[in-house]
Amino acid sequence: MTATRVGIIGIGQSPFTRRRDDASYPELVREAVVQALGDADLGLDDIEAIVYSLSPDAMVGIGNAERLGIDAVGGRNKRFLRINTGGATGISSVAAAYYHVAAGACDVVMTAGADKVGECGDSQTVLNKIWDPTYERSLPLGTITMLAMSGIRYMHKYGLTEEDMARVVVKNRHHASLNPNAHLRAEVTVEEVMKSRYISWPIKLMDCCPQSSGGGAMILASEKYIKDHKLDAVWITGVGHCSETYYIGDRMGKGFTADHADAYALRNSFDRAYRMAGITEPQKKVDVAELYAPFSNTEYHSIEAAGLAALGESIEQLNEGRFSIGGEIPVNPSGGVLTANAIAVTAMIRVAEIALQLFGRAGGHQVAGAKCGIASGNGGDHQFFGTMVLEA
Amino acid sequence: MALNVSVAVIGAAVRPDVEDESQSLEELLYAVSQDALRDAGLTIEQIDGIVVASNDQFDGRAISIMMASGSVGGVDRDILATPSASEHAFVMGVLRVATGQYQTHLIVGWSPTEASSLAEAQRLGNDPYFHRRLPQDELSAFALQASALEARRPGAGEAAREIAAANRVGRAPRSEARPRWPLEPDMISPPVSGVVAMVIASESFVRARDNSSPAWLRGLGWATETAFLGDRDLASAPALEEAARRAFSEAGLHDPASELDVIELTDATPYQRLIVLDALGFSSHDRWAEDVRSGRLGPDGPLPINPSGGVAAANPVFCTGLIRIAEAANQVRGKAGDHQVADAALSLAHAASGFAMTYQSVLIFGREPGEKLQ
Repeated sequence: MTATRVGIIGIGQSPFTRRRDDASYPELVREAVVQALGDADLGLDDIEAIVYSLSPDAMVGIGNAERLGIDAVGGRNKRFLRINTGGATGISSVAAAYYHVAAGACDVVMTAGADKVGECGDSQTVLNKIWDPTYERSLPLGTITMLAMSGIRYMHKYGLTEEDMARVVVKNRHHASLNPNAHLRAEVTVEEVMKSRYISWPIKLMDCCPQSSGGGAMILASEKYIKDHKLDAVWITGVGHCSETYYIGDRMGKGFTADHADAYALRNSFDRAYRMAGITEPQKKVDVAELYAPFSNTEYHSIEAAGLAALGESIEQLNEGRFSIGGEIPVNPSGGVLTANAIAVTAMIRVAEIALQLFGRAGGHQVAGAKCGIASGNGGDHQFFGTMVLEA
Repeated sequence: MALNVSVAVIGAAVRPDVEDESQSLEELLYAVSQDALRDAGLTIEQIDGIVVASNDQFDGRAISIMMASGSVGGVDRDILATPSASEHAFVMGVLRVATGQYQTHLIVGWSPTEASSLAEAQRLGNDPYFHRRLPQDELSAFALQASALEARRPGAGEAAREIAAANRVGRAPRSEARPRWPLEPDMISPPVSGVVAMVIASESFVRARDNSSPAWLRGLGWATETAFLGDRDLASAPALEEAARRAFSEAGLHDPASELDVIELTDATPYQRLIVLDALGFSSHDRWAEDVRSGRLGPDGPLPINPSGGVAAANPVFCTGLIRIAEAANQVRGKAGDHQVADAALSLAHAASGFAMTYQSVLIFGREPGEKLQ
């Protein structure tokens, strides 16, 4: 028997922002859950199982913080488990919910979570603790320094400039200005990005994602349930994951096992999702993409890993507007991770945004006529990659 | 089994009490993963996906599963992680194989003891305002559970002491910890380091390889209690009752106590054994004294309970649940070694995690696959 076909029937997301003093962590989760249930016109009793989306506990400051969210998602006496693949957690959680339905175990599953990254003290201090305590923590590695090194390598291989990085910011901030849920919505110019202070060369302040607070929730259902209840749905037709090595030192220096400029495991993950969806020519098939790129330079290798441009060719195409709203394949029409990053749900929002595009409900940042979209999430030390293909 | 594809355990390796300090955690994970693959007769190239589980606070790392990528063979492979519980890694692996999109999975969980204080690491699992300062750790939650049971069921304390005495037979007292009332020193087992790995596969994969010792998953239930102990009736286990109801129903068991051949359950205290057996319907509070005295609730009773020694023999806190699953599967596979129950054809694994058993899981293994969804 082949896998059950799975659709998305409900979406909830907070307006992402720097602080949410009005809502505790569980309340943020509940906010998104209520939205998703309202969107699907379901009640908590209709949900059979929950996949809880939460990356490092330390970001919340509570061990196994998913337990504090059990009541927020109505989990009591239900099937409940938590997924964590770092920044990819959100898309991995959607995938885990997908597996519940595709396995035949459930008809209706919810995934939900929230984060208060801007309220955790300092996310880079937390994220430094993902590395080996003996060899790599003291460098000091953080997700910014890690991806700055990727950017330098990409500059060396493909001629990327800091202005090219700034143009990604300009594009995504413009997109975010059309999206009321984005955190950084003010438009910026290349000059303003270039004038912002260096965080870790070549990454400057405006090349970085914000630290956001907010929640996300999605409800998935089987084709039978969707048809029986005459619901509107978009379909998950491809799901993939692929991992890289842990040690950053394995990606650099002589004899590296993976080139730190490229995201080869992200490409493998996309290849798996495309194969499952029967897509052989993504550039012809994909109408819109939400790609996890928390720093401007990483959007380039993500576009290439998604097969939307050949290696090294995304720079020129982005500069020509191919990946802007109104272009051939808009990338991150929501503004993407560069304009909102509540880590536990960031990659879930990538999927949610694609679903909204295919429903035709994306509002001001709607991509006209979108029928097929892709989403990705990156987690760990650029290590865990999750990808998804959605079709209307 | 109400899944699209039947799933079987075809390999397992358990190290419940790692005393060798010469190996790093990465080396241990590699060794145990390779042992499980060898037991299944597979190489890592034949593994489609991996699910791992660990606890950041115990490991002293954020996203602690990252470190396992290389050791478990995860590079270029598809890894998911379930930090909520080690048993949830098994659940997730089963669901993935049951989609038909994966033929095989490797499941790995571990629990180290290098943290200066596991109790302190557990206290971080409380909300910072109300419960962390109590202080509440797993042991104090177990004690609250025990006292709730004593208050509800007179005689629970006596039954618990007899279970503890039976658990101790043939073993030196292990605990040096000062337990919390009403727990007594010999009712708890000190934390040890542990690693467990399992290989699962789809029915078509198992049939094609003529694997002679699969343990088929016949029923799978998992559920959660609410997190705040004050919101719970600690003398009962409604999430376990729900998980058991689903597992028994999927496995088609009408009288599980007589149909099952062996049980591996997670009882960090003997009071938990009483609560679990009550929730599973294998004993009831009015029979505890008689059942305990007759040995019916022990490893040598008509329905052997914890022939592996259970948590009383080795308590690798975070991966105890996954170890119970491996032990129950190994009984059906005829690979339980010295503690093999003769002719075990149908087994039950119970896993529980968190404060006073927040997460509850029940799994039924048999020698033949169950019914698939039509």
